Amino acid sequence: MESLADTPWDVTISGTGLAQSLLALALSRSGKNVLHVDRNPYYGGAEAAFSLQEAEEWANRVNNETGDHPFEDASVRLGDGSPEVGTQLSASRAYTLSLSPQLIYARSQLLPTLVSSKVHRQLEFQAVGSWWIHRPGDSGDKRLYRVPGSREDIFADEMISVKSKRTLMRFIRHIGPSQLGADEAEGEGSSLDEDVGDASLTEYLTSKFKVPDELHAPLLSLCLSQVSPQQTSAQFAVTRIKRHLASLGVYGSGFGSLAVKWGGGSEISQVGCRALAVGGGVYVLNTGINSLDLPAEDTTNEDSRIQLLLSNDEVIKTKFVVGSNWDFPKAARLSCDCDRVARSISVVSSSLESLFPATAEGGPVPVGAVVAFPGASLGRADDSPPVYILVHSSETGECPTGQCVLYGSINMPGSDGQALIDSAVQQLLESAGGPNAKVLWSLRYTQWGRCETRSTQPANSAERVIRLPPPSLDLAFDDALIDTVKDAWQAIMGDEATDHEFMTFEDREGAYEE
Amino acid sequence: MSESTSANTAKPSSSVKLVLLGEAAVGKSSLVLRFVNNDFQENKEPTIGAAFLTQKCSLPTRTIKFEIWDTAGQERFASLAPMYYRNAQAALVVYDVTKPSSLTKAKHWVAELQRQASPGIVIALVGNKLDLTNDANEAAGEAQPEAEHESSPADGDEATEETQEEPDVSNGDARKVPTREASAYAEEEGLLFFETSAKTGHNVVDVFTAIANAIPESSLKSGRGAGAGTGQTSLSGGRPAEDSRVNLGERGAATAKEGCAC
Repeated sequence: MESLADTPWDVTISGTGLAQSLLALALSRSGKNVLHVDRNPYYGGAEAAFSLQEAEEWANRVNNETGDHPFEDASVRLGDGSPEVGTQLSASRAYTLSLSPQLIYARSQLLPTLVSSKVHRQLEFQAVGSWWIHRPGDSGDKRLYRVPGSREDIFADEMISVKSKRTLMRFIRHIGPSQLGADEAEGEGSSLDEDVGDASLTEYLTSKFKVPDELHAPLLSLCLSQVSPQQTSAQFAVTRIKRHLASLGVYGSGFGSLAVKWGGGSEISQVGCRALAVGGGVYVLNTGINSLDLPAEDTTNEDSRIQLLLSNDEVIKTKFVVGSNWDFPKAARLSCDCDRVARSISVVSSSLESLFPATAEGGPVPVGAVVAFPGASLGRADDSPPVYILVHSSETGECPTGQCVLYGSINMPGSDGQALIDSAVQQLLESAGGPNAKVLWSLRYTQWGRCETRSTQPANSAERVIRLPPPSLDLAFDDALIDTVKDAWQAIMGDEATDHEFMTFEDREGAYEE
Repeated sequence: MSESTSANTAKPSSSVKLVLLGEAAVGKSSLVLRFVNNDFQENKEPTIGAAFLTQKCSLPTRTIKFEIWDTAGQERFASLAPMYYRNAQAALVVYDVTKPSSLTKAKHWVAELQRQASPGIVIALVGNKLDLTNDANEAAGEAQPEAEHESSPADGDEATEETQEEPDVSNGDARKVPTREASAYAEEEGLLFFETSAKTGHNVVDVFTAIANAIPESSLKSGRGAGAGTGQTSLSGGRPAEDSRVNLGERGAATAKEGCAC
C-alpha cells in the first residue's frame, strides 16, 4: 500500500480545531492534495467534545504534555464526595461535553458561510433563550433575574422602574435600529461610534444616558464582556449590544443566538473535516509533526516543498503547512502571547427548567441560557471580572434527560478563578436547581487563547508556514476566525482564489434530492 | 406521533444518520447507489474518502430521511470512521458473502461500534454479492415481503440455509460465508441481518426499511434533522420531534450576503 510520502502534498493541515476544520471545508473543492493530521486521537482540537471517559483521558494528556496543548491544570472531580452521586451519573457516552462552548449570534458570518458551503444541513441548530443575572438579595430567595434582552422585555419587566426604563430605551434607540427594523433603519446609529470615544461602559451609560448603576451589569452581560463594566470600553460594549439586538428574531421569534446540537464547535469541526474527506482529503489522527524543514532552495520556486517528519516516522513534502502554534513541533513554535482563563464543566442533577422559559409564542424551545455573576455579586470588588455560566439543557444532546451541563468561565486563571466559578455554580443551583440539585461530575482547567479585545494579525501570504492565531476565548463565536481562514485559503490558492469563491459550493451530486 | 391533529398533515418526518462500514470492495457504495438511485454500476471506482447521500423511506406512520455516510473501506488510517459513527443512529456493516475475511472485518466493526458509538445505535449486518451465489436465482424470484425481519434475524433460513453449509462451487457458486454462520453471529449480537445483491437489487430496500422500523421512537424524538417543508414548526400545539430545532435554511440563504450589518 502506498505511503503518505509518495504523494506530493499541496497542503498539510495540522490539528482539527475549528479554524483548521473550516479551512478544510474551504479547500474541500479546490482539487488540492490535502493531508490533514492531528496529534490527538480525537477531532476538534481546542473545540473538542468528550464523553466522561474521554474527558478524563484528555485531562491526563493535558497534564502530562504540558505546553503541547492550549490547556493546563486539568482535573476531574466526581460529584461532591457523597456516595449516591455515582448512581445518578449515566454511562460515560451519554455525555458530550464541549471544551470551548460558544454561542453563535444569528448575525454571525459563520451562519451564511455554513449555508453557502452547503454543510448547514448536517448540523442541528438550537436556540439560546434567556440571559440571567445574579444579584444577591436581602431575603436570599430569588437571586437570578432575567435580563431584559429586547424592547419587549424591557416594557414587560417588573423590576425596572418606569424612569429607568425610559433611560434604557433612550440608550437602545441611540445605539441603533430595533431588532424588528434591523435592515430598514440603516444609518440612524452608524455615526454614533464617534461619540463613544474611549470611555468605559460605566462612564458612557452614566454620563450620556443616566442609566442607573444597577442596570450596568445586565447590559454588560449582553455583551459577554469578560471584564468589569469599568474596564469594558463603551466602543466594545455598544458594538456587542447592537449585535445582540440585531440578532433577535432573525431565525425565529424570541431568541437571537444559537447553539449547535451534540457538542457545538466540535460538530462544526467534524462537518468541515467530512467535507474535505468527501473531496479526497486524507485524514490521519494520532499523528503530529515532529520536525519541519524549510526547503533549502529558493522558496519562490513553485515546486519547492517543506519537508515534514511525522510522528509515525513518515517523511512527507508539502507546499504549505498550516496549524496553530500547538500543532507545530516545539522547535517551530513561537512564544505564545496568550490570555488565560479558568473554565469548568459541571454535570448537574437538575433540569433547571426555570432557566429555559419559552421566550416567544410559537418560537423554538430554548436549550441554552446565559447566567452572569458580576464580581460584586460573588463578594468581590466591583472591578473583579464576572463569572459566566452557559447552561445547556439535555435537549442539546450533551447530557441525559433530567440533568444539565454548566459551562463556567472567568477571566482569572488558576485556583482563584476556579473558586469563583465554584461559588457561582453553587449559587446557581441554590437559586434554580431545587432542593436536591447537585454537581455530579466536573472538569476544571485553564485555557490559553485570545480574549476578545486582542486583534489578530493576518497570515503572511508569502509565507509557506501558515500560523493560525490562538483559539478565541470569547463566549460567542468570533467572526475574526472566518477572516483568518479566508486569509489562509487565499495564501494557499494564490491566483486560483479569483476563480473560486470562498466557501461557496453547489450541492454534491446525490445529496439532498428532495 | 400526533396523527390525530389533522388528516392531511404530512406524516412526521425524522432524519436518521446512518453510517456504512465494511472492508474495501464489499459493495457498500453499490448498496447505497441501488437504494438511492435504483442503479448499479459494474466495476465502480473505489470511493475516495467518503461520500454523503440522502434518501427518504416512507413508513406507514412516519417518513424517515436517511443521511447516509459512505466511508471508504480502503481508508488507510482508520481516522475517518470515528467521526462518521459519532451520533449515528444506525450503521450498516457490510461483508461480501464470497469472502470470509470480510466477515471478520465486519465483526471488528461491530465490536468497534458497540464500544464507541451511541448506546442505542441500530446495527444491520449485511452480506452482499448474493448474485454470485447459487441462491441468487431463487432469491430474485421470491421477492417476498420481509416486514418481520427486525424481530427474527434468522428468518428465511429454512428454505436455503441447510443447503449452503458446504458451498457447491461446481455450479459457479462462489459463496464462502454460510448464511447460518453470519445469521447466528448477528442473532448473538442483536443485529439485523440480511443477504443482499446490489446488482439485482434483492433485499436492498428491505434492509433500509428494517432499519427505519427498528429505530426507537424515543431516539427520533430528539433526532437529527427536520422534515423540510412539512411546516410542523409553525403548527401550534403538539409539535412533535423538532421542538427545539432552528431552521437555518431559508433565512440563512436569503441573508447570506447582507448578513453582517454590524
